[in-house]
Amino acid sequence: MTTTNAPARAGQAIGRMLLQGGTVVALLLLIIFFFAMRPDIFLTFVNVKNILYQVSILAIIAGAQTVVMVVGDFDLSVGATSSLAGAVAGAQMIGGAPIWQAISVALLVGLIVGLVNGVLIAYLNLTAFVATLATMTSVVGFAFLVTEGTTLFNFPAEFNELGQGKFLNIPIPVYFALVISVIIWAVLKFTTIGRSWHAIGGNVEVSRLSGVNVRRARLLAFTVAGLVSAIGGILLAARLGSASAVQGSDNMMFSVAAVFLGMTVIKSGMANLGGTMIGVGIIGVMSNGLNILGVNAYIQQVVTGIIIILAVTLSGLKTRER
Amino acid sequence: MRNKFKLLVAAAAVVALSLTGCAASGGGEADKPFKVIAFTSGNQTPVGAWWVKAVTAKAKELGWDLTMIQGDFDFQKMNPAVESAIGQGADVILDGYTDYASIGSIVSAAKDAGIPIFAMDSGTEPTDAFVSNVTTDQQGIVDSTVEALSTELGGLKGKNVMIIGHDPHPGIRMRAGLAEEAFKAAGANIAGGEIQKVQSPATGRTEALALVADYLAANPNGLDAVWVGWDDAALGASKALAEAGSSAKVTGVDATSEAIAEITAGGNFLATIEQPWPAILDTVIGYIVTYQKDGTLPSTNFETVGTTLVNKVNAAKITPSDKL
Repeated sequence: MTTTNAPARAGQAIGRMLLQGGTVVALLLLIIFFFAMRPDIFLTFVNVKNILYQVSILAIIAGAQTVVMVVGDFDLSVGATSSLAGAVAGAQMIGGAPIWQAISVALLVGLIVGLVNGVLIAYLNLTAFVATLATMTSVVGFAFLVTEGTTLFNFPAEFNELGQGKFLNIPIPVYFALVISVIIWAVLKFTTIGRSWHAIGGNVEVSRLSGVNVRRARLLAFTVAGLVSAIGGILLAARLGSASAVQGSDNMMFSVAAVFLGMTVIKSGMANLGGTMIGVGIIGVMSNGLNILGVNAYIQQVVTGIIIILAVTLSGLKTRER
Repeated sequence: MRNKFKLLVAAAAVVALSLTGCAASGGGEADKPFKVIAFTSGNQTPVGAWWVKAVTAKAKELGWDLTMIQGDFDFQKMNPAVESAIGQGADVILDGYTDYASIGSIVSAAKDAGIPIFAMDSGTEPTDAFVSNVTTDQQGIVDSTVEALSTELGGLKGKNVMIIGHDPHPGIRMRAGLAEEAFKAAGANIAGGEIQKVQSPATGRTEALALVADYLAANPNGLDAVWVGWDDAALGASKALAEAGSSAKVTGVDATSEAIAEITAGGNFLATIEQPWPAILDTVIGYIVTYQKDGTLPSTNFETVGTTLVNKVNAAKITPSDKL
């Protein structure tokens, strides 16, 4: 009897393990696959640095997305907010403002967009989809107004250094991504507001009955997301040495994808920063690896979509299991 | 009696002549202003934004009754708006930078209403959709950029050249294809074996940057040149080359102020192309004015004009396309 059930139990255990660690396994498999295809290139310092550099801005914006998704919402305006912040910083500097002022104003703009999202969702009871879709539309319009439809450039070298400089031969945006990720992780894990966000994401009613100020917590989550998105946008402008109304617009979709990918990492199936970073890693490794193998860009897009579907399906299975 | 008869004949002649005049003119009754519907989907690009302002100014100068429709690259919004304006009547339609493939319903509505469509840079091949489409010479663009790279590299035989294109844009698609043919004919190797495709113009710069950075990571010193279909992506390619310490050269198309600044600085960005949009608009407006006067349509429905290679030598004299 025991002998008969053992393989079935082992199969179930492997299935559960794959379900639990599916995203991590996927990342490892991708790394092994690309390393096997190009052992001379893929895991070299230059290429790993390339991957980190390419995903650093996405990691920051995905961090912002994680905060709102922990609360059980999502923010469609993170990409547009980052573009607007970059454009505002650029326009300020071109207008002669000192760098610190340009960055401060851009951060303030991000904060305000986040605050507006928060008010619409937490206090005026709009759904996150409608509210952030609406703000995204307006924010893109503002970005076009700020840039006058052109690409702003000729920023001070010190500003560009934020995005293009290196410390210990590692690009500075990688450090920014690391520091911001650690801060968001710590806030989510160790602070009262972080626990409140988790509680709201788990069950709004129970949180309310437990004394959590749900409205204020959701407002704060969207405000933080706006601010962090603005940091990403400012760094993107510094990294490219230019700012346009739509630059980095793909970060919205990829940030949601990264969070969904990350939701499969932990048992609860909820958004979490560690998982999001693994999701960002999958997106970065896949894009870099497929580029190195010379895979057609359209096929890359198809593969990215399939990976997102798989991740969401895994996440759904996990939630059902829970 | 004879005088009365003469008066009657004279009056009849005046009426007949005026009727003939009406029939021969392009539209616009004497007491009504000439009605023009202008539309563009590319108003959010710098050149598109210039076009909207320039056409509005020309219409004011010529006393036209202008309806300007800006599509924001959203054909679902733009096409019905133009069709609705056609329904209210117009003498001519002016299309700026919108490929005929995207405006089939507008073309049908205009044909049904008997209104001619004049266009600029709205397709790379002749089409019955327009009575006139004036655009730039794609082969000329390719010839001059390929020659600039050939001169800089001391010939193209055996050189590794990456071509970056974007298929949804007909002009870029056409010139990228022509560039591939030209490089192959000159004996160059096409990096990656085919044209590398950017998916969205909005993220063209970061996509091109990643494409070139990843290619160089896999093939250190593997590029001698990068030919790019437009300046924004060319700037991303140029940045990737500079960051990798490569001396490969880049060419773009558009002559944006940022590209011109890079060319002047003497880095990887070798040259770009200036397309004479103000002169092209003047030509198209001239055709419309002629049609307004006597109903004469241009002799050909497709016309290409030459472009200027912008390099370090003439960069200072060029008006950037985003500062028109």
